[in-house]
Amino acid sequence: MLLLQLLLDGIQSGAVYALMAVGFAIVFGMTRIFHYSHGATYLIAGYGFYACTSVFGLPWYLSVLAAIVLSAGFGALVQLLVYRPVQRDAGSFFTVFVASFGVGVVVENLLAMMFGSGFLSVTSPLSRAQPIMGLYISQLGMIIVGTAPLIFLALNYFFDRTSVGLALRGLADNPDLVTVYGLSAKSLFLIALVLGSLLVVPAAVFQTITAGLTPSAGHRVMLISLAATIIGGIGSLRGAGLGGLLLGVAESLSFWRLPAGWSDAVTFLILLAFILLRPSGLLGQKVRV
Amino acid sequence: MVNYFANLVTVTGISMILAISLNLLIGYAGIFSMAHAAFYGVGAYVAALLALHYTAELTLAVPLAMVTCAAASLLISLPALRVRGEYFVAASLGLQVIAFTVFEQWHSVTGGLSGLIGIPVAELFGYSLASPLAFMGVTIALVALVALAVICLLRTAFGRDLRAIRDDETAAAAAGKNVAVIKSIAVAISSALCAVAGVLYAFNIAFVNPESFTLNLSVLVMAMVIIGGAGTITGPIIGAALIQCLPAALSWLPLPPQNIGYLQQILYGLAMVLLMIYRPAGLMGKARSKG
Amino acid sequence: MNPRSGIAMQLIDVSKHFGGISAANHVNLSLPYGKVTGLVGPNGAGKTTMFNIMTGHIRPDEGSVLHKGVELLTMSPRAIALRGVARSFQALRLFSHMTVLENVLTVMERSPWSFLSGGSEKRLRLEKAEEILSRVGLAGLRNELAVDISYGEQKFLSLARILAMEADVWLLDEPASGLDLSSYDRFFGILRERVEAGVAICLIEHNLDIVRGISDEIAFLDRGTVLDQGEPERILNDAKLTAIYFGEAV
Repeated sequence: MLLLQLLLDGIQSGAVYALMAVGFAIVFGMTRIFHYSHGATYLIAGYGFYACTSVFGLPWYLSVLAAIVLSAGFGALVQLLVYRPVQRDAGSFFTVFVASFGVGVVVENLLAMMFGSGFLSVTSPLSRAQPIMGLYISQLGMIIVGTAPLIFLALNYFFDRTSVGLALRGLADNPDLVTVYGLSAKSLFLIALVLGSLLVVPAAVFQTITAGLTPSAGHRVMLISLAATIIGGIGSLRGAGLGGLLLGVAESLSFWRLPAGWSDAVTFLILLAFILLRPSGLLGQKVRV
Repeated sequence: MVNYFANLVTVTGISMILAISLNLLIGYAGIFSMAHAAFYGVGAYVAALLALHYTAELTLAVPLAMVTCAAASLLISLPALRVRGEYFVAASLGLQVIAFTVFEQWHSVTGGLSGLIGIPVAELFGYSLASPLAFMGVTIALVALVALAVICLLRTAFGRDLRAIRDDETAAAAAGKNVAVIKSIAVAISSALCAVAGVLYAFNIAFVNPESFTLNLSVLVMAMVIIGGAGTITGPIIGAALIQCLPAALSWLPLPPQNIGYLQQILYGLAMVLLMIYRPAGLMGKARSKG
Repeated sequence: MNPRSGIAMQLIDVSKHFGGISAANHVNLSLPYGKVTGLVGPNGAGKTTMFNIMTGHIRPDEGSVLHKGVELLTMSPRAIALRGVARSFQALRLFSHMTVLENVLTVMERSPWSFLSGGSEKRLRLEKAEEILSRVGLAGLRNELAVDISYGEQKFLSLARILAMEADVWLLDEPASGLDLSSYDRFFGILRERVEAGVAICLIEHNLDIVRGISDEIAFLDRGTVLDQGEPERILNDAKLTAIYFGEAV
């Protein structure tokens, strides 16, 4: 029974990890920007949600809306104010990464200054667990598990059917060919950043309500997103989603036998195993070794 | 007063070793490691355990720590560097997280969160280094040795390999370079040099616990290298000195003490962003002449 | 290097698609020893992609890439380079923060353990690097950083790097663009000399007069397909191909 419960919990966090990882994979896969401030986006969404509910007393749906606006805005700002100027003369992987990393450090510490470095969480009626056939699942968990597949379906449609989605995929394969679609690479980068940032919101809200939030969580978000992207196979969005789900479930199942401190170690070991045995990931194209 | 000064120099010297060794990766090999604090920690724990259980002799502690760190680094670098740069960032980030967990959880060896206390005074060829001045002297000598080692290394064919890879990995591979092996050697050397800093740290404050080896420290060392100027010899040295002095300068500001730490990090972060936009080579680096 | 005859490199029925775009469509192409093969075609025809496929930077969806009869498909770019396939890049990709001499030296230091090799070997490499630099006319700039020399000089440095590789297949991506007339003659003088020694050269070039002057054979590429391969005069006088090249409606 415990195992089933852990599996259920794992699917919940796995669902939000999956979305988060897909968000990173979109930015990284399509634009080649090593978007370390993906973690910062998570913090902004999470603290934005916290401030709206606990400080301003807004209802949860308005707070979620605020988190959505904040993270999309932040993604766009980072692209316009940081990545674009850094890349104006062909910024390398290095310069873009450092700049992105710097943004992450600034956001983390600004939030620590404003909200303190301790755990913050939101108590919401949504988080109250309901017993269903001996298993406990919160309303929030049900919403998450219910909506995540819908978001994935929408993404699928976007990337397979719409011209913008197709152009974004083209960007990943060969940036020079994208002009064929009549969209500038600039606007595609912006779209990728905003879209990627939006996908962090479910994870931020879910974690803020269930596990709580600290300013240092950004690095962990990065580790999970990056690990899921690699596990799934760089360049494959479905892979990143699967990777996130796998990590969420594995992390939760690790509580069955291991002390709480080791859950990140489980993530790392899975990542290392993939790098060692299957560097191309679950669904990625074969990587040269 | 003299002791205070000697200690300040020692602490700054340790930072310099950290920055110089990380610069070998960031500046010359184009490898991003988030795990520098982890290797620093491994070096410190090795020295602490050796001193507590066997001997406080530096001529033994330093080589042992270096070998341990170099070997530990191969654990992640060999698999991750075969593939691509991003894999190493991920693996090193993971290693940093797991290292902290191990330091914290492996009570029987590391003493858990409370750490290892009462590390005896370091010895050099049997002479005790109890005086802070003597220890400072040894630290300065080691900083010089580490810097010299890096300078010499860069002048060899191997140094050219590294710089070629940093300048253009695709072209380096197209010229027949074994990028993965070269990078792995660089990581091993860098980790070994980083271990020297760990050993000095452990003996200097006679106490190690996991809190000293967190991801934040990795970030800090990275900031030293990047702000000073990655890929230059003087850059990381200046960067380390600068960042070591910053807290003292900020303490004059009328701010609650806990906020000074945050403000410090905000400044590093901001400096990193602005430098990448306006001067990607860092303070000591040559401003880019042509596109 | 002894003059060789026969085919150095061969693409057989190679296809590569990016999303919906076909960058190579059942391409057949052969590069004979002792000849310069010009790769011609309108922008976006997939010329550079062809190089990337030959050097292992892009893995084709299907087909076969042979060098001296050996399949390259499973090999890394490094392994292919070590077999003797050298390439230059359109963007040159010099080691910009290394000196001119170091750029050449490092290409000759193939093994990561080169730094362990003894003094005589080191001296030999140095001598050879100096020799190559004088050959391309950069001896006086040996201690300048690659980023600091002029564009024309960088082109010659790119050539020096290829000379240092001692490869038998050279893939040159727009080697002549941006060169003035006298350096252009010098540049192709060196190419001719190596071709006579048996090297197989394939070059991408937009200026049709240049292509006509240097090539022994021309392959015409459009939208990932080799439309024709043969004598320069025949290809360049083909009205249908020139129409495609200059973007006229056919």
